[in-house]
Amino acid sequence: MLQRTEGIVLKTSPFGEADLIVTYLTSDHGIIRTFAKSPRKIKSRFGSSLEPLTCARISFWGREDSALPRLTQSDIIHSFHSIRSTLNCFLRVSEVIELTLNFLPEREASKKVYALLMNTMKVMESECNTGLLLVFYKLRLLEAVGFLPRFSGCGRCGKKGDCFYVSHGTVLCGSCSKGHQPSIRLSPGVVNLYASLLGWSIAKLDRIKPPEAFVSELSAVIDEHVKYITERSLKTKSFRAS
Amino acid sequence: MHGIIENLISELTRLPGIGRKTAQRLAFFILSMPDAEALSIAKAIEKVKEKARFCSQCYNITENEICEICSDESRDRSRICVVEEPSNILVIERVKGLHCLYHVLLGALSPIDGITPEKLKIKELVQRVRRDGIQEIIMATNPNTKGEITAQYIRELLSPMAVKVTRIAYGLPMGSDIEFADEVTLGKALEGRREL
Repeated sequence: MLQRTEGIVLKTSPFGEADLIVTYLTSDHGIIRTFAKSPRKIKSRFGSSLEPLTCARISFWGREDSALPRLTQSDIIHSFHSIRSTLNCFLRVSEVIELTLNFLPEREASKKVYALLMNTMKVMESECNTGLLLVFYKLRLLEAVGFLPRFSGCGRCGKKGDCFYVSHGTVLCGSCSKGHQPSIRLSPGVVNLYASLLGWSIAKLDRIKPPEAFVSELSAVIDEHVKYITERSLKTKSFRAS
Repeated sequence: MHGIIENLISELTRLPGIGRKTAQRLAFFILSMPDAEALSIAKAIEKVKEKARFCSQCYNITENEICEICSDESRDRSRICVVEEPSNILVIERVKGLHCLYHVLLGALSPIDGITPEKLKIKELVQRVRRDGIQEIIMATNPNTKGEITAQYIRELLSPMAVKVTRIAYGLPMGSDIEFADEVTLGKALEGRREL
């Protein structure tokens, strides 16, 4: 069956001599992997439409439950070329992509995540040196997939607490945390920033300038949370560190 | 007998671009060849696997400590053309005019796949530039995202050194029609236009 949809290229992996396995985040089917015949050849009809981050109108052929349908057409809607052509910017967006691939199951449509990624890349196109955008994306993605860490009160009784327990994915109050090793103490500024990021729209993100220390602290807590859930560090994170 | 042919067919299908039908055709062709010719193919494979190794300077494939290109004194030793794979050298060597040295990175950076600079021969390139007084680095990595990121990373790494870093041009392939070009390729071709 021929299916048409709109998708963003998340990843490509070489296959055989000149073929590619292209992983898309699509608006209608969630994450799908497609097989593209000979796009690595100079005169391929796919041109640069299979480069990571490209948003394209695609057609693919295969059974509805096919693990690897064949990509038949790809027309660029937005290339996001400027993000790809800057090293630092690409490293930031790679983290976004890796996180999306880790948390979103294949073939599970999520219009919310699709719109989130699209809007994030649009903002990155004009301003990509912002750690705040990265934290915003991580929080919103975790919220969409049901893994949002809880900072706003004890996860068991709802009372106030300021220690985040990575193993529980939440803040616990003094009485509920008895017997557990305290994990990460959160500063009030970080808790406020967390609450604000979940309330703000991405369009208004550039108007707010929180202290860099709060952004880094919040980012570090989220990274620990992600590491605990996925049981591994992000590859892109270690790349940036190197 | 049937088992031996079947084995040859399945071994041949390991090669890139060789499906079962092609493997079958090749197997029966090998069978019809004179013994000496067929064995010479087998010996060539054996020899290449036994003797081929990386050049200690540029990481091209060679059977000696230093490859033919690196030991060729007539080459322009002030320029290094950086490529991703040894097979890229063969293609670039077909172009007459660029008679310089090479450096093979043995891959391209890919943050999402965990291919970090330490996994490539980037440190060795920087050492060569520092040691041999290289004046120009020609980045001939693939014109895709991974190749581009690799080129940029190396450019940033070499920026404190007095070396010119150039990138091969982008644009349309010869013999193609403009109407089939995508916006990024055409945009790059227009950006890199030159006066006639």
